[in-house]
Amino acid sequence: MLLAQLAIAGLQTGMLYALTAAGFALIFGATRIFHVAHGATFVLAGYAFLESVGLGLHWTVATLVSLFVAIVFGLLLDVLVYRPIQRHDGSFFTVFVASFGVSIAAQNLLQFIFGGGFVSLSLPLTRASQVLPGLYIAPVLWVVLGVTVLVFGSITLFLERTNAGLGLRALAQNPELVRAYGLSSRKLSALAFGLGSALVVPGSILAAITTGLQPADSAHVMLISLAAAIVGGIGSLRGAALAGLLLGLVENLVVSVVDTQWSQAASFLVLFGFIIFRPSGLLGKASQS
Amino acid sequence: MIAYLVNLATLMAIFGIAASSLNLLIGYAGIFSMAHAMFFGVGAYVGAQLALHVVADVGLAALAGGAVAAVLSLCLALPALRVRGEYFVAASLGLQMLASTIFGETHILTGGVGGLTGIPAPTLLGYDISSPVVYLLVVTSVLILTLVFIHSLIRGSFGRGLMAIRDSESAAEAFGKDIRSLKTLVVVIGCFLVGVAGSLLAFHMAFVNVESFTLDQSVLMMAMVIIGGAGTIYGPLVGVVTLMALPAGLSFLTFIPSTEIGTVQQFIYGVAMTLLMIFRPSGLVGQSRGRR
Repeated sequence: MLLAQLAIAGLQTGMLYALTAAGFALIFGATRIFHVAHGATFVLAGYAFLESVGLGLHWTVATLVSLFVAIVFGLLLDVLVYRPIQRHDGSFFTVFVASFGVSIAAQNLLQFIFGGGFVSLSLPLTRASQVLPGLYIAPVLWVVLGVTVLVFGSITLFLERTNAGLGLRALAQNPELVRAYGLSSRKLSALAFGLGSALVVPGSILAAITTGLQPADSAHVMLISLAAAIVGGIGSLRGAALAGLLLGLVENLVVSVVDTQWSQAASFLVLFGFIIFRPSGLLGKASQS
Repeated sequence: MIAYLVNLATLMAIFGIAASSLNLLIGYAGIFSMAHAMFFGVGAYVGAQLALHVVADVGLAALAGGAVAAVLSLCLALPALRVRGEYFVAASLGLQMLASTIFGETHILTGGVGGLTGIPAPTLLGYDISSPVVYLLVVTSVLILTLVFIHSLIRGSFGRGLMAIRDSESAAEAFGKDIRSLKTLVVVIGCFLVGVAGSLLAFHMAFVNVESFTLDQSVLMMAMVIIGGAGTIYGPLVGVVTLMALPAGLSFLTFIPSTEIGTVQQFIYGVAMTLLMIFRPSGLVGQSRGRR
């Protein structure tokens, strides 16, 4: 039963990771920007939600506020940080350092304002009840499941069926050609950032109402989403989501074998193994590097 | 006040060695390692264990710390040979996270979260060098040796080979450079040097624990190199002095509560990293990018 319990916890964490990682993969795939400040977006969105609820707003309004904060933050980074850098220097490391700087600054700003401790919200939704002997499930699991499937389904539909989605996929494959066809790569990259950043919102709200949030989570979320994007195969949204799910499961299931402190290390071992032995990832095409 | 300044200078010299060795990887070889704190830690733990159980000789401890770090650096050389760019950064991040966990959890080797305490006062060839000023002199001479070593390395054919790889791997290969051994060697040398710095730190603090060897430390070292100017001899030193003088300077600003200094300092260096990358990606002393 312990294993089943851990698998359920893993599923829940995994689905959180899946959407966040899909956001990272969408941005990285389309713009080739190693957007490590994605973790900061996650934490910012979570705090925006909690603060709005704290102000007495209804949770739907709070969700919108959180969505707004995430999208604006993503777009601002694209316009104010990445675009100026790419104008004079394409080096990925410059972009990476700048993005890392933003994420450090954002994390410490949050810590300065709200303190470094955990914040969370307790809802009846997250109260676990016994389903089978020894197996506890909180109703929030079904919400997570529904939201993940819904959001992931609609994003896939969007990418496959609409012109903008087609443009995004084209941008990922050949930015020059996109420009030659008269599409604005700026608008498309803004779209990637908006959409990718919006994808953190379900995960960060769910984290806020289940495990709780702290500013330092930003680094963890960043690492997990880039791990998932790589394990899944860069450029593949489905791969990233699958890998996010996998990492969540691994993180929780290893607890049955080793102490909890090692659980995160297990995810990074998975990442390291993939980079060494299968850099193209789960669903990626041939190695790009 | 003097004691405070000597302490700060010693730390700056130790981080000077660490940042210069990272610069060898980032600035000259284009190997963007985010796992440097791991090897800093390996050096510190080896040095500390040697001092605790065998002999408190700084020279021996530094060599042993460097040697073990150099051997373990093959973990980093492996992804460096196989993948580039974002993949390598991700691999080194993964390695660093693994290492932090291992440092925190293997109590027999590292003392766990509590760390190793009571590291004896340092000696060198039988002489007592525990006085802070003398120790500062020792550390500074190691720093100077390191800089001279790196400088001569870079001037020679090894350095030119590295820079050729950094600028274009395929061109370097076409010119007959042995990329695999060059890359492995530079990783080994860089990690050896930071291992030396780690064991010097262990003696200086007389205490080591996992806090000093986490991802944050790796990021700090990277920031020192980048802010100062990667690919220059003095850039990392400028970065070290700038970033380490910052908390000292902030503590003079009385309107910031002392408990918040760490946060404010981190915020400032995060913003500084971003702004520098936008306006001056070659760092404070680096030349403009046209040369590359």
